[in-house]
Amino acid sequence: MIFSIARKEFIDAWRDGRFRWAAAIIVGLLGVASLLALQQVQRTRSERAAATAMERENWLSQGQKNSHSAGHYGVYVFKPLPPLAMLDRGIEPFVGTTVFLEAHRQNQAAFVPAQDATATRRFGELTVATGLQLLAPLLIVLLTFGALAGERERGTLRQVLSLGVRPRDLVLGKALGLGSVVFVLVLPVGLFGAIALQTFPGGEVPGGWARLAGLGCAYALYLAAMLAFCLAVSAVMPTSRAALAMLLVFWSANAILAPRLSTDIVQRVLPTPKLAEFEGDLQKALQGGLDGHNSRDQRLQELAQKVLREHGKTRIEELPFNFQGLAMLESERMADEVFDEHYGRLWDRLEAQDRAVTWTGLVAPLLAIRSASMALAGTDFTHHRRFSVAAENHRRAFVRVLNENMMSSHGGHHAVAGRELWEKLPAFTYDPPLADAGLAAAKPGLIVLILWAVGAWAALCWAAPRLNPN
Amino acid sequence: MSPYLFRLELRLLARERGVWVLLALFAAALLYGLGNGAQLHARQSQITAQLNRAATDRAVQVRDFLGRQSLDAQAVAGRGEIAILSPAPLPLLATGQSDLVPGHQVISVWNLSAPAETRSELENPSVLLAGRFDLAFVLVWLFPLFLVAFVHDLAAGDRESGTLRLGLAQGITPGRWLAHRALARALPVLGLAALGTLAAGVVSDSAAAMHRVALAVAVVLAYGLFWVALAIAVNAVARSAAGAATALGAAWVLLVLVVPTLLNVAVETLYPTPSRAELVAAGRKASGDAEKRGIELLNSFYRDHPELAPPDQQADFAARHLTVQTEVGRAVEPVRQRFDDQLARQQTAVGRWRFLSPAIATYEALTDLAGTGYWRHRAFHDQTAEFKSAIHDFFSPKVHQRAPITLADYDRLPRFAFREEPASAWAARVGAGVAGVLTLTAALGWWTWRRLRPARAGQLAG
Repeated sequence: MIFSIARKEFIDAWRDGRFRWAAAIIVGLLGVASLLALQQVQRTRSERAAATAMERENWLSQGQKNSHSAGHYGVYVFKPLPPLAMLDRGIEPFVGTTVFLEAHRQNQAAFVPAQDATATRRFGELTVATGLQLLAPLLIVLLTFGALAGERERGTLRQVLSLGVRPRDLVLGKALGLGSVVFVLVLPVGLFGAIALQTFPGGEVPGGWARLAGLGCAYALYLAAMLAFCLAVSAVMPTSRAALAMLLVFWSANAILAPRLSTDIVQRVLPTPKLAEFEGDLQKALQGGLDGHNSRDQRLQELAQKVLREHGKTRIEELPFNFQGLAMLESERMADEVFDEHYGRLWDRLEAQDRAVTWTGLVAPLLAIRSASMALAGTDFTHHRRFSVAAENHRRAFVRVLNENMMSSHGGHHAVAGRELWEKLPAFTYDPPLADAGLAAAKPGLIVLILWAVGAWAALCWAAPRLNPN
Repeated sequence: MSPYLFRLELRLLARERGVWVLLALFAAALLYGLGNGAQLHARQSQITAQLNRAATDRAVQVRDFLGRQSLDAQAVAGRGEIAILSPAPLPLLATGQSDLVPGHQVISVWNLSAPAETRSELENPSVLLAGRFDLAFVLVWLFPLFLVAFVHDLAAGDRESGTLRLGLAQGITPGRWLAHRALARALPVLGLAALGTLAAGVVSDSAAAMHRVALAVAVVLAYGLFWVALAIAVNAVARSAAGAATALGAAWVLLVLVVPTLLNVAVETLYPTPSRAELVAAGRKASGDAEKRGIELLNSFYRDHPELAPPDQQADFAARHLTVQTEVGRAVEPVRQRFDDQLARQQTAVGRWRFLSPAIATYEALTDLAGTGYWRHRAFHDQTAEFKSAIHDFFSPKVHQRAPITLADYDRLPRFAFREEPASAWAARVGAGVAGVLTLTAALGWWTWRRLRPARAGQLAG
């Protein structure tokens, strides 16, 4: 019986001209979005790869110079765009794409793509993710609002129930039928993702398949929760008009209001520090040490005394190595502690904000799917942080090599190094985190989605036997 | 105009239970948007005030010092000057680009060719992704939804209850019947939206800001009237209230959600900007080459500008750095220019095609009026570029000649002061926006009027 009902619903939906139009528009938009995004991701990746190669060449051919000057000449590294950004660009348009690595300073990623775009970018972007998060639920609302309430209005519900059809079978059959309609519409997107991943230039994407599967599960949970919720509303509401009104209010609250409102409230509870305050504290800590008592100069003096004692010398010039190099090494080490502490605190705060927004997804599921989807696509803040940390580690390694070279050279500031030393410094390569990291970042979102799916289906199962035919 | 019908509709409206709830919700959203705008504005003006204070302190310090002795040009030049974008004239109206694009830049003679100074305020990128709950959001996104809730059922309900036939039997034309009902029902929402927009002017007291507020009210009312006209048009053809509501909802999704993102995709595909990575790499290559040819470059520079050569003809590090920098600037200029040109082309295309959706036209107009839109930030960008030239022209000869800065030079030190766009420029853009939206409204009205000629009254009455 369930399958007969499902079949009838499936055919009914396709016969509805309005639905066909809406579905065609949504699938068309998703198609355009996918193709353009794929093209854009590939272009951006190759541009950044070319820039990385060119930058390496710049570094190697910088000529003869003092190793510390080379530290100030520095290196630019470019963030590789994760391949699955073709499905969900996440925060990528709003974070920097390039980090300048130089001696003494940890720089933040610069060149935010959204700064280089027109103001209409703030209306949002057309991506597969926004299509599935915003438009697919709207389609589900249109499909389901009259599914049960409409039958009741027309009097067919009474007839069907009088035939001995169990209310639960009826509801499950409708859910199955309408769910298949949604599945058929969404399936091409999944296939596109798989084909794009399979044929991605540059070979296999590490962890790509697991991430794509994770995305599939997350969206399946989200859309299933939506379907069950909308059907439950249709079962409970007295008229289809009331069900439509209620569902449209829910959709706009979920899709339009919730993202802005929740980030706003979370910002009030867990505010982001101001740049001036952050930099002020950072500078103070760099000068005075993390504890604020032992200044940088004082600590370097102590180091000099200690080294002189160890070598049994009285003057720095008598030491068997260049003390300036050692002082640089020590001062970088002290600065690194400060950077770890301050940037760590800032980034922890931003991650805490994001997690809090995800948990508000208990009220509006869009927030949960948005967070899970970005995490699985590798375009959320956690992934951006991993890149920033990798770039910073590279900076430290490269500055250390230069300072060690300075320590062993006796010409002081006049000693020069050349290509031999530049080649000793490995090129920056970034290995994007594997699927388990994505899954870990997506966990809160996925938990909320599971809760939603379970809750919505439980509500539907609760409403089914209480279906009122009148 | 039939005042009786209008008053009757208002009275009926006042007796509907949901109406007051919806109006309260809309008022709350407007207040919340205003409050959020005020909070962000307070934060931004505090930062600007701090920066201004720092700039003034620095200037006073330099003057005091110069009063006692002359200063090395390198020392003064190296400290840098801050270029600050003055606070937006109507910040509560729209956050626009102000939370994304940096509103200040530190410019020293040593970083003139740096790829860019992109130290913007710390912000969680998810906040930028979600967008702000500001007044512009309430007016562009939510206002039409509230209007639709009020005016989606102008004929179907009356047709079902039979009052439509009764009404039309009184001799009123169908068009006037719908227009009266729609305007009376929309009036409270339009009124609240206009009041909210007026309230955005409370923090500004200058006359210029008042002109902006007045224009903003015109923009909001034109946008509201467009949705009312659309509701009337839909009601002229819809068979049921649910059908009309669905059609209006679909129109909202298309005009507010879909068309703007499509326009975005279109302009970015038609006028792609060169990649920033390319810009950086080109700059680095040029600087590497220039550094290697440093002395040679400097010598040729002094051959061309013998008047700038230092007294002992011995070039120092600073002079060499300046020459290298000029060379780098020259090398990356074409890429940078291409970048700026493409971006301007994108924005011009958006300006031309904004009427595809009145939501875009309205958003552009509101951010323009608020002073947080693309064009004001672009003006700041252009003026900083000019300021960089001024810094270069002032300090470069002094660094080369090792001429000191004296008290006599103090008044000639380049200082940045943002020049607002002339009112005619923004007024023309906003005026075109309002005119465009009103034209769309008129076109819809004309179509509906043709459709609802008295001869077709029977069709409407069903």
